Amino acid sequence: MRVLVCGVGYRFLRDNALGVYITDTLAPQASNGVEFEDLGYHPVGFTQNLNERPDYDRIVFVGAVSRGREPGTVTTYRYDHVLPGEKEIQERVGDSVTGSISLDNLIVVSEAFKALPDDVWVIEVEPVDETWGEGFSAEVESRLPEITEAVWILTRP
Amino acid sequence: MCFKNLPIEFDAQGNASLKPGVANPYSYTETPAPTPIEDDPERMRELFARNGAVRRVDFDPVTRVAGALAFHTVVDLENRQVMETASMATLFRGYEIILKGRDPRDAIFISSRACGVCGGVHATASALACEMAFGVKPPPMGVVARNLLLSTEYLYDHPIHLSLLAGPDFSEAAVRETNPEIWERARNTKTQGAAAHGYELMSDLMTDLTPLTGKLYLEGLYYTRLAREAYVLIGGKYPHPQTVVPGGVSTTIDASDLNEIMLRVVKYFDYGRKTAAIWDDLAEFFYEVNPKYRDIGTRPANMIEPGQWDDPYAYDATYENCDAWGRERWAPPGVIVDGKLVTTSLQMLNAGVEEFVEHAFYDEWTGNGDEYYRHKTDPAGNPLSPWHPWNKETIPKPQATSWKDKYSWSTAPRWDRMAMETGAYSRIWAAAQTGPDAFRDSPYIHSTGNSIQINLPKAELPNTPIEWKIPETWGAFERNRARAYCILYTAAIAYDNLQIAYNLLRKGGPDARMSTPYEMPKDHRIGVGLWGAGRGYLTHHLEMDKGVIENYQILTPSTWMASPKDPFGNPGPYEEAVLATPLLENYEKPEDFKGIDVLRAIRSFDPCMPCTTHMHMDGGRTVSREIVSCACGGDVETHDHH
Repeated sequence: MRVLVCGVGYRFLRDNALGVYITDTLAPQASNGVEFEDLGYHPVGFTQNLNERPDYDRIVFVGAVSRGREPGTVTTYRYDHVLPGEKEIQERVGDSVTGSISLDNLIVVSEAFKALPDDVWVIEVEPVDETWGEGFSAEVESRLPEITEAVWILTRP
Repeated sequence: MCFKNLPIEFDAQGNASLKPGVANPYSYTETPAPTPIEDDPERMRELFARNGAVRRVDFDPVTRVAGALAFHTVVDLENRQVMETASMATLFRGYEIILKGRDPRDAIFISSRACGVCGGVHATASALACEMAFGVKPPPMGVVARNLLLSTEYLYDHPIHLSLLAGPDFSEAAVRETNPEIWERARNTKTQGAAAHGYELMSDLMTDLTPLTGKLYLEGLYYTRLAREAYVLIGGKYPHPQTVVPGGVSTTIDASDLNEIMLRVVKYFDYGRKTAAIWDDLAEFFYEVNPKYRDIGTRPANMIEPGQWDDPYAYDATYENCDAWGRERWAPPGVIVDGKLVTTSLQMLNAGVEEFVEHAFYDEWTGNGDEYYRHKTDPAGNPLSPWHPWNKETIPKPQATSWKDKYSWSTAPRWDRMAMETGAYSRIWAAAQTGPDAFRDSPYIHSTGNSIQINLPKAELPNTPIEWKIPETWGAFERNRARAYCILYTAAIAYDNLQIAYNLLRKGGPDARMSTPYEMPKDHRIGVGLWGAGRGYLTHHLEMDKGVIENYQILTPSTWMASPKDPFGNPGPYEEAVLATPLLENYEKPEDFKGIDVLRAIRSFDPCMPCTTHMHMDGGRTVSREIVSCACGGDVETHDHH
C-alpha cells in the first residue's frame, strides 16, 4: 500500500506551520510504502508531480485551517471529492500559481485535475496564532500527540 | 537633463547636484485629493437626478491577480464612463520590519518569501544589495548562473499571466457573457497568425483560452512546469531558491545541468512565437471590432525599468560603476516618459525615486523635507530626496479606510514625481529604444531604436524571426502583447547565456567558479539590488552596521502600479488607467454589468498582490465566490474592507 502524507502550511507562520512540522518530524520514522512530503509549494506543481508518479492508494493532508471552530479543534474527515463550480476552481488555480498555499486550494486544484486517488483523508486543526514567527500556540501545541496519532492511524491499511 | 520636477540640475559633464539657493529643495505643498463622490451628498443627488445609472462598483478583492488587491470605482453606466477610482493594497507586508537587526544575508532567504512567483528575483535583488555593501564581485559563471535562474523564472511568470490570469478575460466564456456580438463576429473572422499558432478562426482561439479545459490554458500550465524544472537545476527549489548568495551562486553546474536546462529552454522557441502570434491576433481583432478597445487601460507611456541579466564581465557590484554595467545588461535600464527614453543611467533612475505616504497606512518619517535625513546623496554624490528608499522608514499606521485620506498599504512611489508603470513591456520598450549602437551585442536580439527583433534557431517548427514594435497607442492590449513577445525575448537571453556557460565550463579557471569568497564587513555600509522582476521594477535598498541590517526597503512593481494617489494630486497607474477605460461591455440593465473592461485594464498590469472576489454593487448585489481562507483575515460572508 502506497500512502502519501502531505503537510500543508507555511513554516514561519506559527500554527500555520503545523503540516510542515508533522512531515518534518514524522518523515524519519516512515516505513515501507509511506511517504511524507512538505507541501509548502503550489497545488498546480503538486498536481503535476502526482500525475507523473505511480498512483498512491491513499493521500493524507495535514494542515491548519481557520474555520471559526474552537481554537485547537482537530477535525479528521474523508474527502468527498465534491468540487465547487468551475469559476471557483479557475480562481483557485490562479491563486495557486501565484503562490497561495492553502489546504483547500490544494485539494480542489488536485481533484479538479484528477490527480487524487479515491481514498483521501484530511486532518485539520483550528489555528489560534498565524502571525509571523516560530512555535505553536498553547492550544495547538497541546493537540500535537493527537494529530500525530491520527496521522499514524491513517498510514495503516 | 532627465528631471523636470525634482530640484536637480546637471553640469556640462553631466554631474548631478541640487539646484542652488533653495532652502528645502525637496519640500512640496500637498494638493488635497478630490472629495469622493459618496462623501458629497449634494453631488450624489445631482448625479442621480441627471442620471440614475451611476453606481459604486467595488472589486474586492480583484481575482486572478497575485495577492490582495481591492479596487473601488464609481461608474456611470449610461455614459459608459468610470468617474472615480481607488486602488487598495489590502495587506501589510512588513518584511522591512522583520528584517531589521538581522544578518543581511538572511534577507536573501526571508525577502524571497515576499512573493510566491517572484521569490527568486527577490533573493537575487537582496544578494545584489549585499554584495554591493560587502564589496564582493561574483565570477562570470556566478553571474551567468543568475541570468539563467532569472530567465527561467520569467519563463514561468509570463505564461502564468497570459494563459491563466489575463487569458481567461478573452476566452469564449468571457466574451460570450459580456459581448455576445463580438463572439458572433469571432466565429466569422479569420486569424492572421494561423501559421504560428494553428488557429484559423478567432473563435477557435478564444475557445482554447477557456479556463480549465482550453488547450491554451492547459498548455500554459505545462510551460510553467517546464520553467520550474529548469530553474531548480541551479536554484535547488522554486520559488524560493537555496543557492542565491552574495558573490554568486552556492552550487556547481556541469554540462549535464546545462543540457537539461537547454532541453527545456528550446521548447520556448516555438511557444514564444506562438504566444506572440496569439496576442497579436487578439489585439488586432478587438481593435477592428471597436477602435475604443485601444483605450482600455490607457494612460501615458511613463515607465521605469531597472533592467536585468548582467554581462558576466561588466558587472562589478559597485554603485560607482552601475551606469556602465547596467547598460551592458541584456535588458538595459531605462526611464520612459511619454513614450521616450529619458535616461539609461541606473544612478539617475535610483536618484529620481521617492515614496510618499499621504494616502497610505503609514506615518511620514520626515518633516516634509526640512528635517534631518540620513542620506543627502548616494555613494556617487548624486542628490537624494528625504523620501528616497535609502532614507525611508516603514512606520505602519493602520486606520479606517478613507478614499480622501488613507486607503492603501501601498505607498505612492514616484520617479521625478510622476507615476510610473513597469513590467515585461517596460523592459522590451527600454531595450527597443536603446538602439543598435548602445544595445549589447547579441546574436539573437537586435534593438532598432523603435523595435526589438528576435531571431532564434529553428526548434520543431520553422524559424520565423519576430519583431515587437513600440505601439502607437498604449493600453491593456498592448501590455499583454508586449508581455507575449517577452517569452521569446527571455528565451533568447537564456539561450545566449547557456552558450556562454558552456564556453566558461570548457575554459575552466577562475572565471568558471560559481562564487567569490568574502568576509562579512562590520562597519557601516549601504547597497542596492537593482534587478527587475518578471513583472517589472524591483529594488532592495540595504543599510547595515555592525554586521546587521539597520534599514531595508523593498520596492516592487505593484507598489509602483497599485499605488494610491500622491501628494501632488496624481492617481496611481491602475487608478489612472481605469479612469480612462471606456465601458464597452454589453449590458442592458445595471444589474448585468460585469466590469470586464475594468478587470482587463487592471489585469493587464499583471498585479502581484491571491485571494477571492467580492464584487459589491449598490442595491446589495454581490458577485462573489465563497472563500475559506482569506489572507486579509476577514470573515467569509462579511468580508469588506470599506
